[in-house]
Amino acid sequence: MLKAAVEDHGEVTDEDRKHAAEVSGVPEAAVYGISTFYDDLLVRRGTRHVRVCTGTACFAATGGAHVDAICEGLGLAPGERRADGSVSLAHTVCLGFCHSSPAVRDGDLIDAGPDAPARAITGSCAEAAEPEWVSLLAEPVLTRPGDWSGLRRALTELGPEALLAEVEAATVRGRGGAGFPAGTKWKFTRAAKGDEKFIVANGDEGDPGSYIDKYLMEQNPALVLEGLALAGFAVGAKHGFVLTRSEYPRSKPVLEAAVEQARADGLLGDDILGSGFDFDITIVEGAGSYVVGEETALLACLQGLRGTVSARPPFPAERGVFGCPTVVNNTETLANMPFIALHGAHAYAELSPDSESNGSKLVCFNERFARPTVYEVPFGMSMRALCEEVAGGLRDGRSIKAVQIGGPLGGILPASKLDTAFDFDALAAEGCMVGHGSICAFDDHTDIRALTVHLLEFGADESCGKCFPCRIGLRRAHDMFAVDAPVNRERFEQLLETLELGSLCAHGSGMPAPLRSLLAHFPDEMGLA
Amino acid sequence: MISVTVDGTELQVADGATILTAAKQAGRWVPTLCFDERQAPFGACRVCMVAVEGAPKPLPACTTPCRDGMVISTDDPVSRRVAVAVVELVLSELPAAPAPHTELAQVAGRLAVTGEPRWPGAVHQVKHDFRHPYLAFQHELCISCGRCVRACDEVQGAFALTATGRGFGANVTAGLDSGFEESTCVSCGACADTCPTDAITEITLLDGVERSEANGQRAI
Amino acid sequence: MVNEQFDRTVTTTCGYCGVGCRLEANVRGGRIVSVAPALDGPANEGHTCLKGRFAHQFTRSRDRLTSPLVRENGELRPASWEEALSRVVSELSRIKAEHGPDAIAGLASSRATNEDCYAMARLIRAAIGTNNIDNCSRVCHSPTSFALRKSFGLSGATGSFSDIDQADAAILIGVNPTQGHPVVGARIKQAALRGCKLITIDPRRIELADYGVLHLANRPGTNAAVALGLAHVVRRDGLTDETFIAERTEGYDAVQELLDAYTPQAVEEITGIAAADLERAAHIYGEAGSASILWGLGVTEHKYGSEVVQLLCNLAMMTGKVGKAGSALLPLRGQNNVQGSSDMGALPDTYTAYRRVDHEETARSFEEAWGVPLSRKVGYKIPEMFDAAIAGELKAMYIFGEDVAQTDPDTAHVVAALENLEFMVCQEIFENETTKYADVVLPASAFLEKSGTFINAERRFQLVEAAIDPPGGARTDLDIIMTVSRMLGHEMGWQSPWDTLDEISRLTPQYRGVSKERIGRSGAQWPMHPDGSDSPTLYDTVFDNPTGKGQFAALPYKAPGDAPDQQFPLVLVTGRVLQHYNAGTMTRRTYNAELVDRDWLEIHPDDAARLWISDGDKVSIRSRVGHTELSAKVTDRIEPGHVFTTFHFPETRTNLLIGQSADVNTSCPEYKVVAVDVRPIGEQPAFTPVLETVS
Repeated sequence: MLKAAVEDHGEVTDEDRKHAAEVSGVPEAAVYGISTFYDDLLVRRGTRHVRVCTGTACFAATGGAHVDAICEGLGLAPGERRADGSVSLAHTVCLGFCHSSPAVRDGDLIDAGPDAPARAITGSCAEAAEPEWVSLLAEPVLTRPGDWSGLRRALTELGPEALLAEVEAATVRGRGGAGFPAGTKWKFTRAAKGDEKFIVANGDEGDPGSYIDKYLMEQNPALVLEGLALAGFAVGAKHGFVLTRSEYPRSKPVLEAAVEQARADGLLGDDILGSGFDFDITIVEGAGSYVVGEETALLACLQGLRGTVSARPPFPAERGVFGCPTVVNNTETLANMPFIALHGAHAYAELSPDSESNGSKLVCFNERFARPTVYEVPFGMSMRALCEEVAGGLRDGRSIKAVQIGGPLGGILPASKLDTAFDFDALAAEGCMVGHGSICAFDDHTDIRALTVHLLEFGADESCGKCFPCRIGLRRAHDMFAVDAPVNRERFEQLLETLELGSLCAHGSGMPAPLRSLLAHFPDEMGLA
Repeated sequence: MISVTVDGTELQVADGATILTAAKQAGRWVPTLCFDERQAPFGACRVCMVAVEGAPKPLPACTTPCRDGMVISTDDPVSRRVAVAVVELVLSELPAAPAPHTELAQVAGRLAVTGEPRWPGAVHQVKHDFRHPYLAFQHELCISCGRCVRACDEVQGAFALTATGRGFGANVTAGLDSGFEESTCVSCGACADTCPTDAITEITLLDGVERSEANGQRAI
Repeated sequence: MVNEQFDRTVTTTCGYCGVGCRLEANVRGGRIVSVAPALDGPANEGHTCLKGRFAHQFTRSRDRLTSPLVRENGELRPASWEEALSRVVSELSRIKAEHGPDAIAGLASSRATNEDCYAMARLIRAAIGTNNIDNCSRVCHSPTSFALRKSFGLSGATGSFSDIDQADAAILIGVNPTQGHPVVGARIKQAALRGCKLITIDPRRIELADYGVLHLANRPGTNAAVALGLAHVVRRDGLTDETFIAERTEGYDAVQELLDAYTPQAVEEITGIAAADLERAAHIYGEAGSASILWGLGVTEHKYGSEVVQLLCNLAMMTGKVGKAGSALLPLRGQNNVQGSSDMGALPDTYTAYRRVDHEETARSFEEAWGVPLSRKVGYKIPEMFDAAIAGELKAMYIFGEDVAQTDPDTAHVVAALENLEFMVCQEIFENETTKYADVVLPASAFLEKSGTFINAERRFQLVEAAIDPPGGARTDLDIIMTVSRMLGHEMGWQSPWDTLDEISRLTPQYRGVSKERIGRSGAQWPMHPDGSDSPTLYDTVFDNPTGKGQFAALPYKAPGDAPDQQFPLVLVTGRVLQHYNAGTMTRRTYNAELVDRDWLEIHPDDAARLWISDGDKVSIRSRVGHTELSAKVTDRIEPGHVFTTFHFPETRTNLLIGQSADVNTSCPEYKVVAVDVRPIGEQPAFTPVLETVS
């Protein structure tokens, strides 16, 4: 209701809040709190609402210059609306057009490319194109359009226990960043006490530089929905949700259309294919926040509340949506399930013969590369092979200074270490991670100190604000580098330790990783005391 | 009942009891800021960190349940280091030192957090709300521990308070940021009672805001 | 935690409502600076409400009585204690000599301590020589006391507040805890949020109705029909606990015969509650593992209030839901010590623990202890005192801590009675409507200024300890009563309230062992046992009467004492709000008066529209006996045909409207059903609107 208010008259007023409270039964104070949390609800919008992306890929492309250009061109600071109400400007992170950075959103139109900012200023944005995704596998798995054959087999041949056993045996490490085995999560949820259970697909791909889930949701929605249904079957849930991002305006309508189609084909709804299994899916869109990618914050956002993180235990497997046992899986993780249902755990492991890690992985590259798009790759390839052979190295004669892998909380690998293999264990040994699979290159022109400020600004802005180390610590860390003065390394590292050991969730505890990479590999370029 | 060891002492605790409960039972002090025994544990302040044998990182005592055979150390140096750092950070975001009787001041004192903060920087914006006859809100002293919101929800059930904003700008307010009287507040004072920094406190306890005690006449 | 802001902190018990929150009073420079809830308070567990916490400034209000007053030439003027007390003693002695001791009556304050009330009763009985002593429970829960004693044996809640936490379901009838007993109201709300199935029965949609599973809005005065209807369905659908009925009760057969007539359809006719809702309520209650019943003045302040309580006891006995954890009958007693003032025998027919004045053994034990012969004749109840005063038979009254001219029904009648007395002494903390008629006014102490004990609605003795001194020349109530008694020739001989408590404990088997030490910080719930333990739950194996069995009562529904008609088409219900306490004597002298500054008349939008009344308008309200004016508040939480107001502000004189209708057994006034006419002031409609009468 609050989002509708913004769509309607550009802002959330107290009347809107009171109305929302009355209709929903949520206390007025709580509605106020919700309305001050999400990006989409905070900015007063003009007739034309321009959102400029401040994500890492866009930063890597321009060093931040595109943001300044738009601000200057429109004569507005982010968060402002022109006096005549014609135009407003806001930051946004990330639009998922990292292949063509910088990206700008005008209303629901997303434009990208070096001249996109200029078009945003004049109001002549055009929808940017999205490059086709590519699979390196002999038989594509994740890029192959979902056809529900996995679910058919599960329903007719496997049964829930056998399906669960296959998924466990397959050791599917979560693709969202934490890498937690999905089968284990499913097992806990299945065993948890409760009549009603839920599956939630985490489509909140907030990582700047990542557009993998965007492709999955918008180009292969059936595969995602099938994965959800399989999870429901294995766990004993009758309903699933996909939480999409408001920064990806196309995801929800595309998924909803796919749900409609599936229902029409008897693949969702009551008594699917005559098996007695009921399962249906609701698509929910977020309201502009990165941290709701964390699973407990996600569930809060799903229920319309402030997206703050909750202490675990209890884990969602025990108490999740509406207090019921819930599986929260990343979209890509779920997209892996149809293959396992159809072909089994062994075949799944065989997809990555050169690695301990199983299955295939979608990776995506940023605009700096010659051939940026989403690629389906096996684990175990070297980073160098991925960057130079698959993505064609950097354009315009630039060379790689470093790459950040897996998202803003991922470690940063310097060019000298590009022979590291792309898999969970090898990357972890280098202080990096597979994370969500984005590969964001910083070229040789990159200002490391500016990059440090960029990462910390993102971290501080997106902190949910609940736990003290992250809420205050990230702000302090940012401020240390944002001022034009040398930074005391010892003090900074003490702050990093506090964040790593004290934070409530991976946002705060993960932020030190890329910073430690920079300290390790580029100490002289950080402006330390 | 299960058996745990706290700082070398073995004791029996109820199944599902938190490490904090066990520590209290053993008479060992664990610093806390966002904890109030009248409310469910919240896990926000991260000051109650303790070391548990076998765990790679310090764990928060208030939200971690005991397991049979757990060996807990409340004064482990790494955990204390984190606690001290967090308290330093919290003190650094307030425009003024907390009054000596507040829980924050007492915890800081006991943790020996003194001297110049290592990470100074921006402080909260000063915003006072003295409209209510009894409850005073000094927003700049709020450390977003959530205790007042939980007191209002879990103890009284008036649901008049909410956390607001995000990140460093996070704060707490009543109703639609309209003051206590305009909200669903029933003036029970549970929020003032639990606040560890006196961000919400009884107006009569503030100097400089005089209250005439006769016949409900407010004199400011 | 040492707090540098205070000199000292005293733990005491709140003097507002019957919850009995334990409070920490923080003192600086001889004044209360702030009050916080005690974390270990058994009833409040670290919580309290805005009255207990904030409404203490009245203790130093400019209006406080700090000197005795005597009336001379029609005006009250300051006097010394010597002069005032001599006047009291000489007048009472004179009247006793001329007209006999029964021409004098006393009223004990239900807000005062047990020791104060006991002393008052002893003064009236031993020093004066009559049983004309009563307290304000007369006008609130006397029906509860009567009914519980009849059905179960003891005059108090059958369990404790903690039973709320353990109840799978609960019926709230005629009570609005989030207003009148806020801490218990919060506890109920949290229980409901955790899954306790709450059924609210009230003509108004009280706040807790929003948290419950079912709300039954019955017409005022029809509670008995509701109770009978629930019992009918319980029996019809096999939800009874036959074993319990057979082994632990008597009298069920008569009830069974009676219940046949109270079908859900018949009950719908009488009460306006849909038959399906009644059935659902009965099932929720009957099927629950444990279920409690809570009620308040919405049940008792009726012509047949005592009968309704007996019917509620019937319901509990039919389902075996009494005497077990989570299954308690909890009357929410209003005043902080209304339970105690009655337990202490400040009643015309009983000594402590409800032992009758005409019971030889009891009377003898007191005669022995007090050293004087005592009357066996039952004395006047409060309404009878006023009647006797008007008839010229009662000549003097000694009223302490009750503002009868504001809070008792039919104000005109009360005033006439007071004016007809030859002598009246008021012992008070403020001048009020009643002191207007007093000959002597003695300045007394508030709860923060005295020591002793209160008994809360859980039958729990709790300690009261003075945090500050009474102001100016005011003295503690116990001190004043002891002095008056001494001057009348009867020495009580106590050095402190703890001596009084020891005497009470010695002379009352049920309270034996109660002492300051035994009560400590967690209190003690009577009855006490020989081994020193107390009684959180009653009746787990046996009821407290000669046969040990619970007594069923076969009582049919009867219409209330007043009914709406053409002339007075609306029904007025009176009650309380959160921010004020009863007559508002204390709370109006705090900043609570800023939060709520007047009594409002709640009226349904349909009625308001027909009467051309808008929200905030001033209206005139008339009953058969009186009229007054109020501001209107239009709300749909009340049903059409009813109006509701409070009585916290003397200017409103709400009780002018209340007539003589009262409970048949206990004379508790029917504050809750008064036929009235309401119209806007200054805006006469062109024709007199005729509303359909509420049948």
